[in-house]
Amino acid sequence: MLFPTVEYALFFLTVLAIAWSLYRLPRLHNAFLLLASYVFYGFWNWTYLPLLIGISVFSGLVAQRIQRSPSPLARKRWLIAGVVVCLATLSFYKYTAFLLTTLLDIWGRFAPPPHIPVYSPLLPLGISFFVFHAISLMGDCYRNKVKQPVTLADALLYVAFFPQLIAGPILRASRFLPQLAIRRDPDHLRINRAFLLIVGGLFKKVIISNMLATRLVEPVFAVPQSYGSLDTLLAVYGYAAQIYCDFSGYTDIAIGCALLLGYRFPRNFNAPYTATDPQAFWRRWHISLSTWLRDYLYFPLGGSRKGSLRTYVNLMITMLLGGLWHGAGWTFVVWGGLQGTYLVTHRLWARIAWAPLVQLRQTAAWRWVSRLLLFHAVCVGWVFFRASSFENAFQVFGRLAVPAAASLATGPVLIVLFLGLAGQYMPPRWRNGFEVELSRWPALARGAALAAAITAIEVLGPTGVAPFIYFQF
Amino acid sequence: MRSNTITAPIRQLFLLLTGFVVVIALLESDGLASWANHLDIGPLRTVAVPATVALEKTLAPLGIANLRGDTLLNLARVGWSDDPALLAAAGPLPALTPDLPRVSAPAGSPKPTTPTAPHSSFPHAAGSEAPLLSDLPHTTTLTPLPPIQPGKPRVVALAGDSMMAVGLSATLMRQAATDKNLRIVKAFKSGTGLARPEVFNWMDEYPAMLGTEQPDVVLVAIGANDGQGFVVDGKVLPYGSDGWRKVYQDRLASYLAMVSAGGARVVWVGLPPMRAPSYDEKIAAINRIAYSVVSQQPQATFWNPVTLIGDDQGRFHEFTTLPNGQTMRMRATDGIHLSDEGAGLLTNVLLKWLDPPSPAPANQPHRAQPRRRTPLQPPPAPTSHPPSSSGAYTGRFPADLRPNLHRNHPTPQRRLRLAPRLQSRPHLAPGLVPTQQLLPRSLIAPPVQSLQ
Repeated sequence: MLFPTVEYALFFLTVLAIAWSLYRLPRLHNAFLLLASYVFYGFWNWTYLPLLIGISVFSGLVAQRIQRSPSPLARKRWLIAGVVVCLATLSFYKYTAFLLTTLLDIWGRFAPPPHIPVYSPLLPLGISFFVFHAISLMGDCYRNKVKQPVTLADALLYVAFFPQLIAGPILRASRFLPQLAIRRDPDHLRINRAFLLIVGGLFKKVIISNMLATRLVEPVFAVPQSYGSLDTLLAVYGYAAQIYCDFSGYTDIAIGCALLLGYRFPRNFNAPYTATDPQAFWRRWHISLSTWLRDYLYFPLGGSRKGSLRTYVNLMITMLLGGLWHGAGWTFVVWGGLQGTYLVTHRLWARIAWAPLVQLRQTAAWRWVSRLLLFHAVCVGWVFFRASSFENAFQVFGRLAVPAAASLATGPVLIVLFLGLAGQYMPPRWRNGFEVELSRWPALARGAALAAAITAIEVLGPTGVAPFIYFQF
Repeated sequence: MRSNTITAPIRQLFLLLTGFVVVIALLESDGLASWANHLDIGPLRTVAVPATVALEKTLAPLGIANLRGDTLLNLARVGWSDDPALLAAAGPLPALTPDLPRVSAPAGSPKPTTPTAPHSSFPHAAGSEAPLLSDLPHTTTLTPLPPIQPGKPRVVALAGDSMMAVGLSATLMRQAATDKNLRIVKAFKSGTGLARPEVFNWMDEYPAMLGTEQPDVVLVAIGANDGQGFVVDGKVLPYGSDGWRKVYQDRLASYLAMVSAGGARVVWVGLPPMRAPSYDEKIAAINRIAYSVVSQQPQATFWNPVTLIGDDQGRFHEFTTLPNGQTMRMRATDGIHLSDEGAGLLTNVLLKWLDPPSPAPANQPHRAQPRRRTPLQPPPAPTSHPPSSSGAYTGRFPADLRPNLHRNHPTPQRRLRLAPRLQSRPHLAPGLVPTQQLLPRSLIAPPVQSLQ
């Protein structure tokens, strides 16, 4: 079920009404949300519902074993077994064909490769996210971050809770399970914040992302040879705006829906293109993934505690695997490698303590130069991320050097491109102020305003709803 | 005390939702009716259509639906919309959109003298009168096109649904990007088909997509979303029923008549075998209908791509091994669409037919042909790769991986024959697969980008 559809609106309104009718009965309330989550998942494709339930049950049982084992060694063994099974499942669905073809290609360079039928299973929707949730559940139990005993019902709902099921944000078991243990409190409902998040998310997805995709990015990346430098540059900027609006739009809607149901999700984006260095960028972009990778991969590798060289190696490993998580292809590995290189380069640069340079870094002008440099470095990475192949990526780079007038720079495209990028500089106080202003309106008027806003988005958006980019991951 | 009453925040929430539902029903009554009409045949549609139609009729006197329609037209007039049919309905564009050349029509290219006729001028094409053919052709013969006149590129329209939009179109356009003898017109849209004109009416949209272009050749790949039932005159025709077949065959014939109007040659690229067995059966049935209709039209040729895309048994084939030992993905990860490389197997053959290499006089050096980029860069082909003894080019895999590498070799104009590599074929039962199962919803949603 896609968020910006009538089907989802009907589904969510029904779930919302029933969930709040049951809020005084937490167990029934949670059981209802679990059922709704399975309906949400099965509506798209029920084939993989058993896999989702299986992973949830398995991780819940392992988490219980970890919590109940007194011996540290036994806890560690349970954790390793759980993580291996989860990663093996993910690898089977996501990386089988990639690994086999890579192996056969390497083999083929030295000798005739054996005839192995390469098989690529259909990727279950959201598998990368629900597997990471399962690992988080076991990992947090291992680190004693989950204080209450994990029940199977909690594990099932944590892994499958529908607002985050398909494309995150990736919740931490240690922060979400306590929310399941207590009764929903209507007094903590932030209705206005939730509606602003949902309307903002729909605007970003339906108008900005979809329009940039169909009218700028897709034509250029499909046939780069047909476009010159201006169109290509706009398409690269356009993809930076598209992927931000697509993914942050999705998570805004997810956070808003969860908020209406009385649950708090972590923030997943914080104006990433305003960052001035790669480290800050990754503190602002897909925050739930970058912190997951930090806590469950970078830190276990040793983080920055084992010397500079080891830190750089750990950063590269983390980002390369982060790239591979996004997709089973070498272009994603290169994207991850670029991000790792940026992080390492920045660390080396930050170590230079030459006084004039230190002073320069503190100036406002330098911050803007850094911001621009970083944005363009990120855009270079996005080209590999978006391109269908290396050849396609280098064609795009090559067209940047071919002067030609812009044929795709129509008024609407430029407007949404500007909104997609410059919108990140909108002061947070504007939204807070609007939220306060809304709270003064009568509830009926707020409902009417919400309806008017959604109608406007529907009318202004292109026809048809493209799936969210992150669905494929 | 509070535990027995509805708390203030929840009351606020329900009031707000009430306001939302009332106003959205007022503003979007026609949008909701349109949504219900677009649903797949099934229980949800059965409930939603009468409910939303009743709502629309009730609210019609208020005139709000007209306001929405006018807004859409005005948005199209200022260049906000890129829906060709809406743009055509809205009239000329002022203001926001500068007067830019179309990507498909480079500046300076000659304008066609005969605009595409509107669909209403086409005679009714009764495709259901054509007998349903059971066996798809192994071999397809394309008669040569007239020579390309200097300075007058051949206009090639790419038409269809996502089977054209994903893989095939991009690969072909990339390969032909530097070929001045060809001008490509994009006339495809993902998530469409011929079964549900109320969702997307190709009879309106295709002429609008063409604009003033008059294609010499139309390449069609369509039908992936058509394995579903539809409603005609209030009567549900389940997929596979006799009534469904007749109506679908008629719609396909009308579409074919439209795309071949003005004398355009049509190559109907049959749908490749699919990974999911039940879906593959539906696609095979749709292919048989398409072949039955297309074979009645002298200007049109049905090309069965299974000879290039399927395995030796004509079944779904996701990866193949190239002569150099490399493994190549032929299909997208969804098991439906073609990968760029897989599409390249087809486009290499098609491009050779669309713009054949000119024969050079024996005493002159070969005229350099525009080099097209292929998604595959196999090792140079042996020069002995010959035409068949009958004079027909044998476009057989893996030789088809290489045709672009032969473009500088003199090749006489000849009938291009797309021969099979099937050793044996599974028996294809005549008629349709009688099944009520609907096409998975995920197939209808247009993809943002190639899945990785």
